[in-house]
Amino acid sequence: MSAEGTLRLIWFVTWFNVRMLLASEFFILLTFISPLIFATLAFFLFRSGGGTAGQTLLYVALGAGMMGVWSTTLFGCGGAIAWQRWEGTLELLVNAPTRYDFILVGQTFGAVVFGFYGIVATLAWGVVLFGMPLQATYPLILPLSLLAAIVSLGSLGMLIATTFVLYRHANALGNLLEYPIWLIAGLLVPVATLPFWVQPISWLLAPTWGMEAIRGAAIGAEPPILAIAMCFALAVVYYVAARVTLVFVLAKARRDATLSLQ
Amino acid sequence: MTALAAPISRIAPDTLRSAWRVFWYGGRMSYGMLFNWARPSIYIPTLIGGPTFQLFFFAALGSYATDRSAAYFAIGNAVQVSALAGVFGMTMAIANERWFGTLPALLATPANRVALFAGRFMPFVLHGLLVSLYAFGLGVVFLGVRLAPGSLAVAGMALLVTVFSCTAIGALQGAVSLRLRDGLFGANLVTMSILLFCGVNIPLDELPGWMQVVGNLLPFTHGLEAVRQAAAGAGLDEVGGLIAIEVVVGIAYAVLAFALFSYLERSARRNATLDIR
Repeated sequence: MSAEGTLRLIWFVTWFNVRMLLASEFFILLTFISPLIFATLAFFLFRSGGGTAGQTLLYVALGAGMMGVWSTTLFGCGGAIAWQRWEGTLELLVNAPTRYDFILVGQTFGAVVFGFYGIVATLAWGVVLFGMPLQATYPLILPLSLLAAIVSLGSLGMLIATTFVLYRHANALGNLLEYPIWLIAGLLVPVATLPFWVQPISWLLAPTWGMEAIRGAAIGAEPPILAIAMCFALAVVYYVAARVTLVFVLAKARRDATLSLQ
Repeated sequence: MTALAAPISRIAPDTLRSAWRVFWYGGRMSYGMLFNWARPSIYIPTLIGGPTFQLFFFAALGSYATDRSAAYFAIGNAVQVSALAGVFGMTMAIANERWFGTLPALLATPANRVALFAGRFMPFVLHGLLVSLYAFGLGVVFLGVRLAPGSLAVAGMALLVTVFSCTAIGALQGAVSLRLRDGLFGANLVTMSILLFCGVNIPLDELPGWMQVVGNLLPFTHGLEAVRQAAAGAGLDEVGGLIAIEVVVGIAYAVLAFALFSYLERSARRNATLDIR
């Protein structure tokens, strides 16, 4: 398949998945409403502690937005393959002449791109309701930070999709992993305040570096070069791991004739 | 070959004995059916893992953002996590009947509706209580929660009442889900609203006026305050009023839930929409 064809396929699946998620009440809640509720909660908490400076509010808005991105990634990608199973399209997609991992890339990127609306929503929410100033220390780097965060979360989403399928109840894993990643990735609480043994775990997570890249460009004192580089590096690692897992999972499913079994 | 030794005895549907059977066996079977999803591979991540991390997340966030102790947030969230069983469980108990196609058969019976509804209600009160007690245990071990020994019984009573009223709003959401395509949308919204409006993480008096009004109309608010005060040593004479208000709120939601359930049942029969999603 040509590079142009591959890109077209990924774009088509991404867009198709965004439209599918728009029809889901659960994902509307996850992406459009939940980040606003958590942002409001965090705004009040920080205000209660005296943190009313503009930068604090922006810190909170970006963190709450990224919480929504993580939730959408987790649930949107965690159930990606399982949904194809339920809908009866998995066999068709796996046996299509295109590579299945490209389809999965499109599907996971669809979820992540959809989730990034949460950041836009919480920023608008903060500006309108809490008078948060909208500023960026490095406005030219901000688009690159966003791209890096999307790419790394998309790749992590693909790893989630391929590994969660090994567990029959992917949604239950989603319920389990929402809060701990919000905490460990430092979305609202700085990683430095967590126990020392937690910090190395946070370095392996895309949301940590994605958040660092976006916050660094928005309110950082220095350009977030390291965070952006880590996003891309982790994206490569996640993709390779996801590809290896996918090959293993598909080979096992074909061997055991369990592709469509739940 | 076996033959029936005696004719099948039938219990008239309008007797108290029949209502008891619907309450007890119907409720037990409905709860058991829910274990279709609540088996260990789902139960542990959702009702043990989820509350554990929620407790640690808000304890860390709250103590970082404010000058309040981690224990304050641990108590609030330990009570709130009962909503996972109360709101989601109760919603699913009703919505699943529709989803699995057993609702028309259930509603075609002349079974006593109050008994039918109450039978599905009680297991989730106990279940919510268990989840909450587990979370309190975590709070005591890891987050510095201390309960005054003299008022443990009062705290327990306040907790029980709070879980009851939480399950009542879950029942209301379950009734609403007879009409909605996705009942869990509302269940998620209710649990998030409880987090925001009911003093779980932010004291009620720090919220804007309209949010305080909403908080006072929701379950949890008065019960949680009673639990907090009892944990600090307050007796029944001091928190009795709060507990009484929580009971009234819970009963109001339970009655509203039953009324809505009955109305939507009649409406669905009239319009033949019971199975339409």
